[in-house]
Parts: sequence; structure tokens; C-alpha cells
Amino acid sequence: MNARRLIQLALLVAVLIYPFLTLESPVYQRLGALVLLAAIGASAWNIVGGYAGQVSVGHAVFFGIGAYSAVVAFVHADLPPIVGAPLGMLLSVGVAAVIGVPTLRLSGHYFSMATIAVGELVRVLSSTSDWLGGAQGLGGPAMPRTVFDLSFMSAMPYYYIFLAVLAFLLGMTWWIERGRMGFYLRAIKDSERAARSLGVSAGRYKLYAYMLSAAFTSLAGSLYLCMFGFIDPESGFGILLSVKMVVMAALGGAGQLFGPLVGALILVPVEELSNSLLGGEGAGITFVVYGAIIVIIARFLPAGLLSLFERRPTAEKPAVSTANPASGHAD
Amino acid sequence: MLIEAQSVTKMFGAFKAVDNASVTVEEGDILGLIGPNGAGKSTFFNCLTGDMPLTSGTVRFAGTDITTAPPEERARLGLARSFQVPLTFESMSVLDNATIGALLRHHNAREAQAKAREVLDRVGLGRLADAPAKSLGTPGRKRLEIARALASEPKVLLLDEAMAGLTPTEVREAIELVRRIHAGGVTIVIVEHLMEVITSLTRRVVVFHQGREIARGTPREVTSDPHVIEAYLGRRKVRHAGES
Amino acid sequence: MGMTLVQVVVSGLLLGAVYSLFSSGLTLIWGMMNVVNFAHGDFVMLGMYTAVVVWTALGGGPWASVPVAAILIATLGIVSYFLLVRHIMRGPMLAQILGTFGLALFLRYGALWIFGANFKTLPDDLVGHSFIVGGIRFEGARVLAGLVGLAVTLLLHFILTRTSVGSRMLAVSEDAVAAQLMGIRPQRMQALAWGLAGAATGIAGALIATFFYTSPTVGETLSIVAFVTVALGGFGSVLGALVAGLLIGVIESLSAFLIGPVYKDVIVYTVFVLVLWFRPQGLMGKA
Repeated sequence: MNARRLIQLALLVAVLIYPFLTLESPVYQRLGALVLLAAIGASAWNIVGGYAGQVSVGHAVFFGIGAYSAVVAFVHADLPPIVGAPLGMLLSVGVAAVIGVPTLRLSGHYFSMATIAVGELVRVLSSTSDWLGGAQGLGGPAMPRTVFDLSFMSAMPYYYIFLAVLAFLLGMTWWIERGRMGFYLRAIKDSERAARSLGVSAGRYKLYAYMLSAAFTSLAGSLYLCMFGFIDPESGFGILLSVKMVVMAALGGAGQLFGPLVGALILVPVEELSNSLLGGEGAGITFVVYGAIIVIIARFLPAGLLSLFERRPTAEKPAVSTANPASGHAD
Repeated sequence: MLIEAQSVTKMFGAFKAVDNASVTVEEGDILGLIGPNGAGKSTFFNCLTGDMPLTSGTVRFAGTDITTAPPEERARLGLARSFQVPLTFESMSVLDNATIGALLRHHNAREAQAKAREVLDRVGLGRLADAPAKSLGTPGRKRLEIARALASEPKVLLLDEAMAGLTPTEVREAIELVRRIHAGGVTIVIVEHLMEVITSLTRRVVVFHQGREIARGTPREVTSDPHVIEAYLGRRKVRHAGES
Repeated sequence: MGMTLVQVVVSGLLLGAVYSLFSSGLTLIWGMMNVVNFAHGDFVMLGMYTAVVVWTALGGGPWASVPVAAILIATLGIVSYFLLVRHIMRGPMLAQILGTFGLALFLRYGALWIFGANFKTLPDDLVGHSFIVGGIRFEGARVLAGLVGLAVTLLLHFILTRTSVGSRMLAVSEDAVAAQLMGIRPQRMQALAWGLAGAATGIAGALIATFFYTSPTVGETLSIVAFVTVALGGFGSVLGALVAGLLIGVIESLSAFLIGPVYKDVIVYTVFVLVLWFRPQGLMGKA
């Protein structure tokens, strides 16, 4: 037990001082920030996709709304981009309600298909809107005007901003997980019919999870815009973005608190590495690898990597003694 | 009057699965719904729980019209059920399964777990509280269904073939359990095709055949009714002969 | 204007017949085993590339490319079933969706890797003729594609409803366990469904390739077109897919004509969302 605590403490310290360990190599600093940003998106997806089991493949919609809200705040209102973040979150919650109310009533596949279609719909629409910069997209402030523009040369400030947001998001998820809503979401995922027979308003809870998830995905989009200073329909609303959120969560363990973070820790470096090794021409191979990883997870490891390390507390032993005779004893 | 179902009809396409059935349940009743396979009793049952919308008719619960209320609304009013094929929450422990039921009246997760533990003890699953629910066999799962429903502190418990697939010993134990639950003040409606369960447990029986009610009364009255013998027992004999 | 409108509707119907064909593959699989093949559009894409390769590299025409595509994609379907789908179909929802979705990415970017990102088109001279009947111009390729699409869809419907193989497949889709007790092997029937769906999809791909740009990412759009068609027609109904496919074809070409080509996808996706909202069981599905 103490060894466990010690390892946890060491990990925590490592995460906190990571940017100082990589002062000499900005590439690794940037990589750290990217992992955290991806983990925010995937952890946000995890609320509805992992805990509630409603597999959205269109979360890029909310990411894009967040990114565009931030850049629009700058381009059309001359405000610091981050001012657009809360607006984006509100808008995303609204859009989630519009998509979710009709589709979450239906079986899981409908929801996945509808989210794909809505994602593509929004991407095409955004590329036809001059106000959003059309297919070329929009850029944030070229030069930081004040510190509130959150435009920095070094990746270190981003690292700590992303870390704070991720910590808040995971803290909130942990709190939900242990409360009534966490129980109810798991019940809905296991058997919606049984959950409803026990008084669980399945539709309402799925919608809450979806809206909450949308809000934080949108925040991830706004943060992305602050760091990269630029957004276009493909990088904001592209389907691959949605896929990455799903895959990171699923690789680490969907419906597990740290699953998405673990997935991001593996996939972001893989992607950066293959992009830098293979260059623009090799971008396709990155996604061939992605596709293969996804198929392998689905086929052999549907519960994700973390399930391999799960200590099964009290699970196996009683399982044996439980078999029919034991449960037949009345009192 | 706790449950008042009036002229309930349920059609699947042109097929009348339930035809103009009216059943009332008084507080403190143990009511049996019986009939051969395909008689419409399970369909009628699912109309009471809100899992299937009625084609026509009304259902009232403790004076409130619940004809169009969804299952979760009915659960909140005090109508709990078990499923014929147990719908266990597979990824959870036995305790967490029961906790889902208890959370209906106890919003705090810790209080709900305390309530769930108490109910598990009552139905004889206390020792297995921390085991994963998927490790339970059929009798355990059926018991867990009942525990989960009880944890929601219902006024009425609707049991859908809660004893099907159990050995005779297990059936006797399950009957004992239902008796205790009833003695604890819960009204019981039970769908069953095992005669032994009906005769030893219920006070009143409604017999379905081909979607219609063909008889009602005490188990003794019903089993000597010629219509019932012809429709239900007769067919059972034939089926048994065919099976062996 | 009046004549042009008729022209637009006719070409929409011809396109729609091909949509019907590849959507019937998706609906068949859904009806059989409640699995959505998210790689469906990419199966069509591979059918298209098969046609391109057969025509340009091997020198064959449509009489060679259509059967080759049918066999190749049917094989792909059966292999996907045995290696992947069979194992994930009883798993959690996430694994079901991820499995075929990963397959989609794998095929899509594999094609990008092998064939490059550039659009490919087939040589015009083979089916590039057009003729005018009653003031309406018909392009040879589209007419051929539309008629073959219609015929094969009807054939599939006939196989499923009028043959003993069809009724055995229906038995498996209704209750696999009961079917097994009657001596039907569910896995064999399900594999057959994947084979049939693959063949239909491959044929559709080879047909579309005669008048569409072939590119690695075309499958993404086609997948969504298939979802819309299947949702509109009612999940599991081949006849529904036929009617819905024709309808979608007309809606698409009308909106391209009346509003602008950029908006044809927008309109089709909007139709999808509206269908899910107001009539999730589809036009011909059971409530």
C-alpha cells in the first residue's frame, strides 16, 4: 500500500515539474502540452461515451464550436480569444441538446450515426460561411497584445493551463462517478431497460452527460485555438478529430477516470513521431496505424489497457463460491 | 384500490395479444396471473409496468392515471418489477446493483448503499454483496432482481416468472422469500405458469387464454373451472407428453 | 426550365438506384445481426478502385470490372465477418462501433497510401456516350449504372424473400438460437449475409466509378449516404432501401440544381437528422 502511495506521489511530482525537466528541448515541452490537451478532449468525451456508453463519433462539432468561438471573439469583436470560451461552452451545450434530445432516445447505433452526420453537416456549413473564414479558416492575434491573449512562444504556460483544466475536469468526473449520477450512468450503460424500471430517467441522465461532455470538449477547442492561433473547417470539425477522442479513451479504458489520459500518453507521441518521420506524405500511414490499433482494441481489448492492470478486488474468489448452490441458500 | 387496469387492449399489428382485460389489485393482495404460453399474461404485465404502450384502455395506480407514464415514472410512484430473463447490471458488484434501486429514495450514495446492504441481507445475498454480479448463476440473478426492486421501496412488486428455471428446492425457497416480502407490507402481482407457485402463494388468480381473461377466483376455484382445465391444463399435458 | 427539371429528376433517379444498391448491403447486415458497418462506404470505395484498376491497368471493361469487384468485396465482407465482426457483435457497444470504424480508417488510408490522394476517373470512351430521348439527355454510364443498380437490388430482395436461403437467413435474424435448433448454422448465414452485402456493395462501387471521381476519402460521404438511405427506408428493409435510395438520389440532384452543388450534402444530412427526429423507424420500418 505504501509503495503504491509512493509511486502515485512520484508520478504527481513528475507531472508537475515536467516542463522544467525538458527546459532544454522545447519539442518535448510542446509534446507534453499536446498530450494534456488531447487528454482534456478525450476525458470530456469519456463522460458520455465511456461512462454513459453513448458512443459519439461527432465530438469535433463541440471542439470546433469552441475553437471558432474563440477566434470569432478576436476577429469580430477584437477581444482576447479566451473570452469566446464560455460562449462556446454555452453554444455547445445548446447544440448537444438539439442533437441529443431526438437521438439519445434511440438505440446506440443511431446515436453514433447521427453524430457522424451532424459533424459532417457542420463541417460543410462552416466551410461555406464567409463570416467563419470559409474553407481558409480564421487566425487569432498575430502578436500577443496583452497576456490575456494567451499567446506564448514557450509551451510551458500552455502546459500548466492545460494541466489545471485537466485536473479540474478529472476532479469533477471523479466526483460524479462516486455520486448518484455516476451510478445511474453505469446502470444505463449496462441495461437501460432495467435502469428505467428502477426509476432512473435514462433519457435525462444521458442528455446531462452529453451536455457536460460537450461543454468541456468545447473548452478544449478554445484552448487549442489559443495555442495554435488558427482554425479551419478540417482542423476544427474534421471527423478524424472526433475519432481521436474516441480512440484515446477506448485505448486507455473508456469509462475509467484515467483511461483517456493513458490513451493520450501513448497516441499523441505516436502520431507526432510518425508525422515527423514520414512528413506530410506519410500522414496516411499514421491513420492506417490508427485504424489497425482501433480494430485490435475492439477485437481483443474492448475494456482498454487499464483493464489489464486492474487489481480485481474480491472479484475472483467469491465468483467461484457463488455458483448456484451458494446463492440458493436463503439467509 | 392500488392498481386498476380497465379494458386494456394491446395489438401487435392485427394480432390482439391482450383483449379487453380488466384487473384490479387491492393493497395487501397477492395476485397471480396465469395462463398457457402466449396467453397474453406477460404482455399484460408489461402494459402495467410501462414497458409497452397500450393500444387502448387505462391503468391507474393509487388513483393516479399512469396509462402513458414511462417505466421510471411508475417506479417513482411505487411500482417495482423483476424481469423474466434477469437484466443484471453486469459490470457492477451485487451491492451496486441493489444500490441503483436504493438511490431512488436515498439520493446520497452512502445512504443508498447502506439501504442496499440491508435489502441484500433480507433476501439472502448479504454474503455476496461484494462479488461481481456477473458471477451469479440464474437463481442468484433472480434473487438480485428482487433485491434491486425491493431496494426502491415499492408499494407493489410485480414478478415476471421469477421462479422459472429454478430447481424445486430453489422454488420453495423463493416462495418463502416472496411470502416474507408480502408479510413486510408489499403488495405482490406474480406472473407464473408453475401451478405449484400459484396454489401455495396466491389468494386470487386471473387466468388468461388467447389474450382474454377466462376465469378468476381463488386458486382452488380456478383449477376446477372446466374452461381453465381445457385451455391451460389440457394444453400443458399435451406439451409435456410431447417433450418427454 | 420544365425540361431541365425532368432531366435533373431522371439523373437523380439513376444515381439513386446505385445508392439503393449499396445501401441494401448495409440494411441487410443490420437486419441480420444488429450491426452497423461503419466501413460500408469504404467497401464501396474499394469497389470503385477495383473498377479503376481493372479498366486502366488490366484493360478490362465494365463486363470484367463489375464481377471482379463483386467477388473481391464479397470476399472482403466474409473475411471481415470471420476475423472481426463475429467477435465483436456481442461485445460492448463501443467495441462494436470501434471495430468497423477502425476497419474504415484502415481501408481509407490504406487506399490513400497505395493509390495516392489524387482523384481517378475512368476513360470516357467505353460508356461515355450519351443519347437524347424525348428531349432528355441520357449519359450511357449513368443509365447503365442505374439500370444494373435497380436490377441487382431487386434480385437481392428476391433472394431474401423468395428463396430457401433467404428464409434461413430470416430465421437467423429473428432468433439465432431457435434457428440453430432447426439445423441452420447461424454463423454460416451471417457470413453469407456479409458476402451478399459485399457483392452488392462491390457492384455498386464498380458502377459509380464510371461517372464519379474515385478517391480514398469518398467512402466517408458514401457511408453517410448509406446511413441516410437505410434510416429513411427503415433498418433491415431492402425494399425500403430501394425506395429511399431513389428518393435520396432525387433530393440530392434537385438540391444541387436548385440551391448549389455545395449544398447537396447539407440537404441530405439534414434529411437524415429530420428522419431520426420524426420517424426513426423509417418510411417502411415497423413502429
